[in-house]
Amino acid sequence: MKRIIFLFLSILFFPKFIFAQDCNITLTGVILDKGTNIPLGYSNIFLENTGEGTVSDEQGFFEIKNICPAEYHVKISHIGCHSEEYFVKIEKDTLLKIYLSHHSELLDEVVIHGSHEDNSTESSQSISRADIASESNKNLSDILENISGVSVLKNGSGISKPVVHGLFGNRVAVLNNGITQTGQQWGNDHAPEIDPFVADHLSVVKGASALAYGGNSLGSVILVETGNIQEDPHLHGEVNYTLQSNGWGHTLNITVEESGKLAAWRLTGTLKRQGDNRTPNYFLTNTGKQENNIALQVEKKIHPKWKTDFYYSLFNTKIGILRGSHIGNLTDLQEAFERSEPFSTEDNFSYNIGSPRQEVTHHLVKVETKYLMDDEKIIKFKYGGQLNNRKEFDIRRGSSSDRPSLNLSLFSHHAEAAYNGLVGEKIFLKAGVQFDMIDNGNVSGTGVLPLIPNYRSYQTSTYWIVQNDQAEEWLFEFGGRFSLKQLRVKRITQTIPKAIEVLDHLFQNYALSSGVRWKKNDFFKANFNIGYLLRAPEVNELYSFGLHQGVSGIEEGNENMGVEKSLKALLSLDFRIQNKLFVQALGYFQNVQDFIYLEPQEEFRLTIRGAFPIFIYKQTDANIAGVDLLLKYEPKQNLNFIAKYALVRGYDLTNNLGLVNIPSDNIFSSMTYTFKNKEKWKNNSFTINGRYVFQQKRITETQDFLLPPNDYFLLGLQIGTNYEWQKSNLKISLRAENLLNSTYRDYLNRLRYFADENGINVSLNLNYQF
Amino acid sequence: MFKKNKIMKNLKYIFIINLICSVLFLNSCKNDDDIDIDVEELITTVTYTLTPTSGDAVTLSFSDIDGDGGNDPIITGGTLQANMNYTGALDLKNESETPAESITEEIEEEDLDHQFFFSTDGGLDLTVTYNDEDSQGNPLGLATNLVTGVASTGTLKVILRHKPGKAESGVSTGDITNAGGETDIEVTFDIVVQ
Repeated sequence: MKRIIFLFLSILFFPKFIFAQDCNITLTGVILDKGTNIPLGYSNIFLENTGEGTVSDEQGFFEIKNICPAEYHVKISHIGCHSEEYFVKIEKDTLLKIYLSHHSELLDEVVIHGSHEDNSTESSQSISRADIASESNKNLSDILENISGVSVLKNGSGISKPVVHGLFGNRVAVLNNGITQTGQQWGNDHAPEIDPFVADHLSVVKGASALAYGGNSLGSVILVETGNIQEDPHLHGEVNYTLQSNGWGHTLNITVEESGKLAAWRLTGTLKRQGDNRTPNYFLTNTGKQENNIALQVEKKIHPKWKTDFYYSLFNTKIGILRGSHIGNLTDLQEAFERSEPFSTEDNFSYNIGSPRQEVTHHLVKVETKYLMDDEKIIKFKYGGQLNNRKEFDIRRGSSSDRPSLNLSLFSHHAEAAYNGLVGEKIFLKAGVQFDMIDNGNVSGTGVLPLIPNYRSYQTSTYWIVQNDQAEEWLFEFGGRFSLKQLRVKRITQTIPKAIEVLDHLFQNYALSSGVRWKKNDFFKANFNIGYLLRAPEVNELYSFGLHQGVSGIEEGNENMGVEKSLKALLSLDFRIQNKLFVQALGYFQNVQDFIYLEPQEEFRLTIRGAFPIFIYKQTDANIAGVDLLLKYEPKQNLNFIAKYALVRGYDLTNNLGLVNIPSDNIFSSMTYTFKNKEKWKNNSFTINGRYVFQQKRITETQDFLLPPNDYFLLGLQIGTNYEWQKSNLKISLRAENLLNSTYRDYLNRLRYFADENGINVSLNLNYQF
Repeated sequence: MFKKNKIMKNLKYIFIINLICSVLFLNSCKNDDDIDIDVEELITTVTYTLTPTSGDAVTLSFSDIDGDGGNDPIITGGTLQANMNYTGALDLKNESETPAESITEEIEEEDLDHQFFFSTDGGLDLTVTYNDEDSQGNPLGLATNLVTGVASTGTLKVILRHKPGKAESGVSTGDITNAGGETDIEVTFDIVVQ
């Protein structure tokens, strides 16, 4: 895949016509690591058209003399990096500054507007396109788990949502291409409806307050960034195919792009088919999955300073949920807990997806227009519209199994005007106004009383962030956000006969944040952030009513709740020693007043189907604190060790208990060795990794049906190689997960009540770039 | 420092924008008629009528007309004669609709997908046996025989399972252990045998 974001050309002007073919142009350049700015010595530089090539010196510099003015495809490769290709028009002596991602795990989220890099005092980490492609059979959240401090809340292996710094769902915003994802985020069993393949990179911003990104996030934001289309008039693209042994899953993705005369465009399509997963001892019946996604990105430069983007994506999935996890009453639950394998486990593998299952379709349309004014000021207008339809099918009597028990249709509009630019000489201002409307309704015909009522909400927000411009060593940042949210709910009453009542809420929310970044030099950087934020309760927290499969019980909202008030402070340190040891350490503390949580009740509700556990939304005061650590040791360029550690503690201060659904402490480590290139076989690498997850011991018996499962260790292996032709490139990788075929259960997976996690999985990934 | 009146001015603008936008959108979409307030497949009432070979019939019932939540269900137990044979008939209804919908008929139609299970607790001396079959010759349980023993008190539990594993071990003799499936009904009656 080609990108130009990190490519700067020194060409400012070039003559309109050239009198003679002047073949004495010199191309010079420097190759640096995107994550650390370290020069990458001994990189290969290759001009595809002419076959000329060279190797950079120890400082990353290279020089190619006597080339003719022409359009070139420049291919750059370095041991341990994914090779990159750029399209460059060379008409005079040219200097290229090229970034490769050698230390991809140390990558920050970098946004460049014109020549102004978007500075931030917040801490972030990214996952590059190549890493997304090599794990293409996984879903978005599982790929994000590679970032330290990110865990995954699951409902079987098909449904997962990211947990960042102990918080998830409504409290972590997911931005798909700059638009806040508005699906049914409230359910623990509702995954973000995004195909990771649309992304150029994925980032997690671990801040104290994400003011520009919308109101609900109590600090952390996940960004799915599509990246720009390279200004290359030729058609390029990639084909990606993955076969996985567990569930015999197939994933096929095709991405093509071109910078045509009218506009630049990129088209991405993904197909996934997967059957029943298997634990070491039995099949997980009805855990298949299907996915069909397509996305179109169009960029049009109307004028050198005026750029317009259009983006459309369709995400469509059908996910089976373990047949034996469909809950009955308390007696059934108790029975299910005691079984060695779940009820209804079939002896044979199948691709069939019966009930219970989810069928979700998500459309996103985005239009953005940016105008760059003379003095680096940018005005931006953005519209994002989303349509989300979620159908959940339960096992029902008679022919009703073909009718969904939950059928929600959500419409959302987001409109935004933003301004970035200097105010006076030293102050850089980012400000904006946003309007959001959400209309969420139950589609009639389910024959089941809806779990959440129909509602509509309107929110208008404004934010501003000021920074000192051209910050070198010290960057200061201060910002605020204010929003007004109206909520109108149409609830079905409990009376006989049933009626509809209309309820209105008005919430005023604000957020304040400030931060400082101290960048001593390339070897040491520290960020400190502090933010205070209010979050209005969501509709499910106010009005849920009924049996919720995702919590295995009856869930009841509490309409009298007020806003959550959160104070978060975060300190992160990035430093390195002799370009061999890299350390990223991050610590945070968050105090949430009136933290909304689901409290299990001691009494059960007697219904005609037996007794059911009840969960009621309550507010308490909570403290959440934690540490994320990332260490990378690279004694030689072809050998590296990585260790990641994450720890989170969450306490309910009022009840003196641990918070539920707080991830267990975990350690991940890996060793990668890259062998010498053998002719056209490059980047031949071998990786061994291990993950150890501690037992979550801060939960008592009164808080859950079962105590958290034991600790576990998983071993993984990966081997990969790269075969390069003149103009194309084939990457092959073979990956094994849970190599020891261990039987284990994970605390954050709801299916832990019913079944073991997946056993060994071997996947083969082929990635062809042209 | 920002002056307070400036902030207030900003807030006013936001409020106005929100108001305008809300008005634009507020009444443009769906109306209330779309909201579906009928619950289908709801079972509100279970009655178990026990007719002895001599004497008066006893009716056990469980009813929760407003469904889950709201008012508590009304449960009526009964007194049975010792050492007596009863024929039992179960009847299931949805009484939240008028006229009440018979769920019994639905179960008869889908007999392969249903089975009732009976169990006693607290030393109650009685046994329940099946007196009907589905189209494949497995028990269903809408019709039963109930035989009481000596005087005793305790509870009788009636469970209806949807899609049980009828072929699993013990299920055809009324043992629920390996049945699986979903519980459609689970009601418990207080019984006195005297």
